[in-house]
Amino acid sequence: MQILKSPALRRLFLFLAIMGPGIITSNVDNDAGGITTYSVAGATLGYKCLWIFLPIIVALVVIQEMCTRMGAVTGKGLADLIRERFGVKITFYAMLGLLLGNMGNIMSEFAGVAASMELFGVSKYISLPLAAFLVWWLVLRWSYKVVERVFLAACLVYFCYIFSGYLAHPLWGEVAKELVVPNFSFNSTYVVIMVGIIGTTIAPWMQFYIQSAVVEKGITVKDYIYTKYDVIVGSIMVNLIAVFIVICCAATLHVKGIRIETAKEAALGLAPLAGAGASILFAIGLLNASLFSASILPLSTAYFLCEAFGIEAGIDKSWREAPAFYWLYTILIIVGAGLILVPKISLIAVMFWSQVINGVMLPFVLIFMLKLVNNKDLMGEHVNGPVFNIISWVTVAVLISLTVLMVVTSFLPA
Amino acid sequence: MKTPKINHKGIRGLGKFQILGEYFFSQIKGRPIYDSEERRLGHLRDLAIRWEGEIPKVTGIKYVKGVQAHIPISHIKEIKPDRIVLKVKFADCEFIPLQPNEIYMGKWLMDKQIIDLKGSKVVRVNDIKLFWIATAEKKYLVPAAVDIGLRGLARRLGLEFLFKRRENILVWWQFIQHLEEKTASLTLRGERSQLDQLHPADLADLIEDLDYKTRTEFIGDLDVETAAEAFAEMELDTQVEILEHLDSRQASDILEEMPPDEAADLLGELPEEKSDELLNLMEPEEAQEVRELMDYEEGTAGALMTTEYIALPPDLTVNEAISRLRQLAAEAETIYYLYILDDHHRLSGVVSLRELLITEPVARLQDIMVTRVIQVHAHDEVEEVADLLNKYSLLAIPVISDDDEKMLGIITVDDVLEILIPDRSSFETFSNFFTSKRALR
Repeated sequence: MQILKSPALRRLFLFLAIMGPGIITSNVDNDAGGITTYSVAGATLGYKCLWIFLPIIVALVVIQEMCTRMGAVTGKGLADLIRERFGVKITFYAMLGLLLGNMGNIMSEFAGVAASMELFGVSKYISLPLAAFLVWWLVLRWSYKVVERVFLAACLVYFCYIFSGYLAHPLWGEVAKELVVPNFSFNSTYVVIMVGIIGTTIAPWMQFYIQSAVVEKGITVKDYIYTKYDVIVGSIMVNLIAVFIVICCAATLHVKGIRIETAKEAALGLAPLAGAGASILFAIGLLNASLFSASILPLSTAYFLCEAFGIEAGIDKSWREAPAFYWLYTILIIVGAGLILVPKISLIAVMFWSQVINGVMLPFVLIFMLKLVNNKDLMGEHVNGPVFNIISWVTVAVLISLTVLMVVTSFLPA
Repeated sequence: MKTPKINHKGIRGLGKFQILGEYFFSQIKGRPIYDSEERRLGHLRDLAIRWEGEIPKVTGIKYVKGVQAHIPISHIKEIKPDRIVLKVKFADCEFIPLQPNEIYMGKWLMDKQIIDLKGSKVVRVNDIKLFWIATAEKKYLVPAAVDIGLRGLARRLGLEFLFKRRENILVWWQFIQHLEEKTASLTLRGERSQLDQLHPADLADLIEDLDYKTRTEFIGDLDVETAAEAFAEMELDTQVEILEHLDSRQASDILEEMPPDEAADLLGELPEEKSDELLNLMEPEEAQEVRELMDYEEGTAGALMTTEYIALPPDLTVNEAISRLRQLAAEAETIYYLYILDDHHRLSGVVSLRELLITEPVARLQDIMVTRVIQVHAHDEVEEVADLLNKYSLLAIPVISDDDEKMLGIITVDDVLEILIPDRSSFETFSNFFTSKRALR
């Protein structure tokens, strides 16, 4: 243990032990839906949308930092605090919204699995049952410690996109410029896509997930500073990857004027323009992202729901001890994967409604969060400082107005 | 009307009484309040309750938002399905403020966590059952039970009709234990002795269920011996996790009370800095014992043994031995074997408790002891220890020093079982994604 005597190394080890919640939450965010949005943004708008990612990093850090702080200070999850503070009715509607919104998300993850496997020539009738079973089994079979490490390793696969972006030979000078110089346009396509990027990056379930992950990891106020780094690293990483996805599509598809609507089309379109390598890396990234999120979403959804209402939950319980939890978990996976196999179901409609539900929920969740984090009884000296409070209220206000805009525009005829 | 089943010590303590009505808090909350002249004063926003010995009583009704003056319960004439009617005119109402020993039911109890002492688990209050009763002199509104069931939850959401066929799951007032102090003058937690009555394994489950802040307070309220017993029932991983979050003083007190072998295992899992800190806070003597145990390599007899065994000199009579046993028994891990040591602390024989009890009181230990003692050395492997325990059907086996043959400690059969039976959590039960238990409950 001699090496641990060096304070810098010791701090690094502590960070490595504590990291996880922030990085994982951020990466789940780059799920199938996220990758689709970024690809479409890159192909349609080119480099012009890159500047949005710096403000998104700030917003992500601000929001997630508050949740992790609440988790570390109170030792309780967000649903827990909402119930104790705002009563059971509000909790019920929040949970119902979370369930419906996440159901749509889960479906889109499995759709992502199907799409990426089809790129490798595997029929969705084979890949989906396999993926569903794998996800169901993996998470049930291993301890959280193991699963968390697997997830962290899977986060590395996201770097596929960086190589993919590199292989697309973008104009680096222009990339650098567009990253920092904001530009606005009131073109309706531009607005819809920009709002879509923000909407896909900050979703309501994240706040619940990251806070529970902190609590479950047993992180307390003392070690909290490392979780802050975890959140910052995670937020930067997730946006870095998003930037490369945009770059990749912008340098190829946008330049050639090819319009796409899905991530699969993006991967297909890449092959003739940037080579088979870039296309394959893109597909692997999509598969990884979809599987990754498909593992976490159903489980966390089942978990929040049961726990918020005091029903036995958790994988350390047996099926007989926590039947509601296991059934909910299983049903979420079966329905999520199963509906994708039904030929007549319109995924676009499902995605649309899940996006609307998430959009309607986000303002409430964010406002509850801010009220809770500023509650002295709960947080003691760890309430937001005045400056941070201004930043967070502004962030929340911007997010809320954008979300409202997104919900409204999505109802307007195209 | 069917007479409700009352299983409440406190209410029965009131003597002869008549039940005028029973309600759930969620049902009467929001009911309009009218005075004797049919004037509407407001509606029931919350109830102030006071603990008086074992009988908590509702003392007043909060009827307007933001005003901490209540309508005293003695003003109530009747509780009707659609309204609450007072005996007096609004002008004659004597409003009373919230007393320091009172709390609001809706604000401080509903949706909060409590301990169900009967089921020994941490539960959430979904609703509260109240009885409106009359004795010869007075009327009382008494909170009788806490509803922790699904039906209570559905009632709050206005969906009770979906669960009509489900029983309400009630925990009677005397079996609940509060977790949080609201004010210093008010001990909501009731009698701690109730917690001491729980089996340590149940107490251990409860402690695991709590979030880390509540847990520290909770353990602080237990007496150290009880806390240590509960602690000994937990899995090593959980012990480590909990210990890391406890205040160091509290942690070292608990470690002192634990058997030294378990304390050594536990400290071995902590970062060196933390374990040194805790050892320094412990009594020097106990700390020394633990330090020595920590030096043995994992998986050897030395690491597994405990130093708390019964050692007696050979020239004692049986009668003397029994009275010595009385003093020593509390500390020892097992009292079934009495080890006879010579002046150099070497093991010369063993006497079983059975032997001791059936032999005449004047006999000397050296004459009745078995001299061929099955023993292991400190560096022996655990498997070897298990084989010997199994082969000779022993409950415990002495551990002898590798170099000078002195007796160091004993290993009991349950210590070995713990090692040999594989950790359930990693095999049979699918282990935990979220280690669950505490999170959102």
